Amino acid sequence: MSELIRLEDVSKCYSSGPSCDIFPLLSVDLELEQGARMILLGKSGSGKSTFLNIVGGVDSPTSGKVFFDGKEITSMSPVDLAEYRRKQVGFIFQSFNLFPTLTVGENVMLPLELIGTNDTNRAKELLDAVGLVDSWKKFPELLSGGEQQRVAIARALVKNPKLILADEPTGNLDQETGSKILNLIDEVCSRRNATLIMVTHSQDALWIAPKHYRLKLGRLELENDNT
Amino acid sequence: MTLTTLLKFNFKYYKRHSLLALLCLLGISLGVGIVVAVELINGSALKSFSSSIDFLSGKASHSVVSNYGKIEEDQFSKIWANPSVFAASPIIDVMGSTMETGQESIRFLGIDPFLDSPFRIWTPQESQELSFMEFLAGPVPSVYVSESLIRKYDLKLGDYLTVLTAGFEKKIKIVGVINSSVSGNLSERLIVMDIAAAQEVFGRIGRLDRIDIILKGDPVVFKETLPQGLTLADANSRKNTLSAMLYSFQLNLAAMSLLALFVGVFLIYNFSMFSVLSRREDMSLLLTLGSDRRSLVGAFLAESFLLGAAGSLIGVMFGYLVAFFSINMVSNTISQLYYQVNVGDVELSFQIILSGIAVGFIATLVGTTLPSLEVSVTPPVLGMKRQSIEDRVSSLKILLLCLGAILFGCSLICAWASRFSIFWGFTAAFGMTFAFALFTPSSLSGFVHHLGSFLKKVFNSLIGFLAARNIKASLSRTSIAVAALAVALAMTIGVDTMIHSFRSSVANWLDGSLQGDIYISPNTTKWDHPLPEDLLKKLANDPRVESIEKYSTFDILIDDKLAKLRVLESDILAGKAKFHFIQGSDDSWKELPKGAAFVSESLSFRFGVNVGDRVKVPTPQGLIEFPVVAVTRDYSSDQGTVQIDRNIYRKLWYDDRVQSIALFLKPGVTVDELKLSIMDEFKGLETTVVSNSEMREAVLAIFDKTFAPTATLKGVSLLVGLLGVATAMMAILMERSRDIRVLGYLGLTSWQLGRMNIYQGLIMGLSAFLVAAVCGTVLTYIIVHAINYRSFGWSIDIKLNPWVFLETFSLTMVACFASSIYPTFKLVRLRALPTLKEE
Repeated sequence: MSELIRLEDVSKCYSSGPSCDIFPLLSVDLELEQGARMILLGKSGSGKSTFLNIVGGVDSPTSGKVFFDGKEITSMSPVDLAEYRRKQVGFIFQSFNLFPTLTVGENVMLPLELIGTNDTNRAKELLDAVGLVDSWKKFPELLSGGEQQRVAIARALVKNPKLILADEPTGNLDQETGSKILNLIDEVCSRRNATLIMVTHSQDALWIAPKHYRLKLGRLELENDNT
Repeated sequence: MTLTTLLKFNFKYYKRHSLLALLCLLGISLGVGIVVAVELINGSALKSFSSSIDFLSGKASHSVVSNYGKIEEDQFSKIWANPSVFAASPIIDVMGSTMETGQESIRFLGIDPFLDSPFRIWTPQESQELSFMEFLAGPVPSVYVSESLIRKYDLKLGDYLTVLTAGFEKKIKIVGVINSSVSGNLSERLIVMDIAAAQEVFGRIGRLDRIDIILKGDPVVFKETLPQGLTLADANSRKNTLSAMLYSFQLNLAAMSLLALFVGVFLIYNFSMFSVLSRREDMSLLLTLGSDRRSLVGAFLAESFLLGAAGSLIGVMFGYLVAFFSINMVSNTISQLYYQVNVGDVELSFQIILSGIAVGFIATLVGTTLPSLEVSVTPPVLGMKRQSIEDRVSSLKILLLCLGAILFGCSLICAWASRFSIFWGFTAAFGMTFAFALFTPSSLSGFVHHLGSFLKKVFNSLIGFLAARNIKASLSRTSIAVAALAVALAMTIGVDTMIHSFRSSVANWLDGSLQGDIYISPNTTKWDHPLPEDLLKKLANDPRVESIEKYSTFDILIDDKLAKLRVLESDILAGKAKFHFIQGSDDSWKELPKGAAFVSESLSFRFGVNVGDRVKVPTPQGLIEFPVVAVTRDYSSDQGTVQIDRNIYRKLWYDDRVQSIALFLKPGVTVDELKLSIMDEFKGLETTVVSNSEMREAVLAIFDKTFAPTATLKGVSLLVGLLGVATAMMAILMERSRDIRVLGYLGLTSWQLGRMNIYQGLIMGLSAFLVAAVCGTVLTYIIVHAINYRSFGWSIDIKLNPWVFLETFSLTMVACFASSIYPTFKLVRLRALPTLKEE
């Protein structure tokens, strides 16, 4: 399998003065292949979201390089980075982050429209996959938390991204709904051979990926490898 | 949790959002400032107007005035000899100008220094007089000049001034400076001269303008002894008569300021609501932590008290500055249209400060109380959900639409009721504006929804679609800002369309009335200098002149109210002029030589006189009733004009003096050729001989100057409205920052996000413009039919000018674009913050 993501000596520091005060990431190296999955663990404030943001091209490291499919994204222009996010990355958030003003269908169509396609069938297919095709014209506020997260997953996957970044996707859901959502993520990632990086605190979610990493004082440590 | 703790909490909020605090203060200050400015301008003009009359009346208890304009000089001795009269002083009172002082109107008073001494002290200041004898009987007419004129034009004792009176250039010599400490009015532009010299200079030999008297007997008894055609007026009644003239002008100015305040209150409400609602989640949290609702509302009210106080104080100062810088413009307009006033200082009284602060407080309290009460009664859990506000607004918009429809209906009824009182006209205008403001949430919601879909389907513009939906998503913010902007724009469109229609009606009236090729006419209709007889003879015999139309206009009193009497030659005008007859027709001309009269629309409205009625005109023969055979459109005076034939006038007034003439040239004679030869022969006519087109331009220039102050108010209102848009966009930005960041995660570039924000501003501007275009058109009809007609008595043909709409639209779009620049800058910075944490 070919390598999809590579991090080389990636560090990120936050400073309030001339010197670095906080290192959420310190000399992080990582390689993930197409279709691979990893869980990222760590305490609150350990840098998990920063890690996702850097891999997702939303934030840039203080030093080091990030490669996607062989191309260095850390040297890309903001416009290229936006294109990278638009085409290659699907984000799933803890708090769903659906647009309340757009219907379910419009929310799922949005990433497709951003890449210039108007394929309604594809959006319906994804919504069908998450069991919400009948809610196409509904506004998000009329859906339950679990249903909203399923729409968010459909939105993340509709453009067929190679990389899915999920930031505590079950954090706002009860155990039963969370379990269904994890099954759904597992199913759609397998079907599309998408690479998954998932941040979670939940022990019930660990089964979704064989490799478990932990961020501790900025260092990325492999905690478990069930491959 | 104590009130102090909550206040500290609120203070910290403003510390973090200092721009918001500044905008809040600006909103209150602008609203208060406009009201204070208009109050100051109106107050100062009235005060100066009143003190001018007091100053000129001196110690006179009464004045004897003519009902028909002039007093024969021989009447004076009869009045002086009356045992009820303690002292009497004959007066010549003329408005004129000199070559050295340009176009500025100066009051020339002709007095008998001996007879006038019990009334006024004109004594020049020590060492500021050349010779009293010269004043009395110098070889050149000699004058005392007020200190304000001396200072303004850097004049000196011994200087000569050239008075421009019709047909003559008359030299006068400055022999003294009026003692301002005695006269007590520094701002009066005044020249005092001996009465004989004044009669000579101004062509009034044998005539007086009024006789000031100090009565020792019963005024009622004295009045009965007066010769026919003369009447007795006390100083107060003169003031009241003149103040009544100003009433409509000031009422309109005040109404404009109230409309501007209306927009200001919207803005204050917008800011206050934004500042309260943006802390909605904080408030819910504070309630959850144990704070009680009363303390929360109390803290917000205390905060609005402080904001209101600070904003009002700044507003009062701002209003003072606006008044200070625009007082000259307004006083010039009043001078041009009604009565010569020279407003010196703008005095800030305690009463005005208090009323300004009260306006600011009430607006701020209304703006803050409603939203803070609304938030405080919301259950804490619901309060923490942003969407709950929008849900409520969504359900409210139908109610607002219904309320708007009811208000719309009531406003139509008020417009109809304006025939009983102008108050209903203003109520209709305000009600209608408010009704459209209430329509805004529903129309905005529907419009942006369809516009978004349209932009996406037709132009494939996802950014436009998102921008439109963002506006709909923040209806609680955007609808108020759009309503405020729409009100400001509607006012602009309404007033501009009225002005345009008015101007076009005036131009049509001029086209119909001004048929002569050349006019020899004083600068304003108030200057009643007769034209020299040799000029008239010369022109009558000039082979280049086909015919001459002679005019005279005088002030008369009809039912103790000022009106104008215009004397014209109906036999010449009937074939040439194209009067706009409201009642009557071209056949009515035949009746004028028989002793009938035309009345202007204003006079018809003021005195309820129509065709078939009779108008009572004071003449030297007593009150004569003229049958009214036509009501004509006439914008020359809102006091109203009676027009009669010159032959009738000559018979009744024993007077044939001519104030202005229109020359009709023979074919082939050029206007410039004749104009130059007249000016060459008769010095001093440079500003008096004008061609038809120059006359037309001069009248329209006065028209434009009259409406110049409205442009300032319009500009401020627009600024207030646009600040509302900027605030609403900032509100959207603050509240929808999460959505904006998500768009960044989904791959929108900063440029696309910035464009989306700019589109938001432009769509809000477009929405406000569309509401305003309809509201403004309705307002035009109310202003023209229910306010203007009731104020001035003249009708206007409404003309919807596409240029007014286009100009307003362009201005709005440019301004909305400008308003969205700062929020866009903030948005791009916000986008740069990568984290999307659980908030």
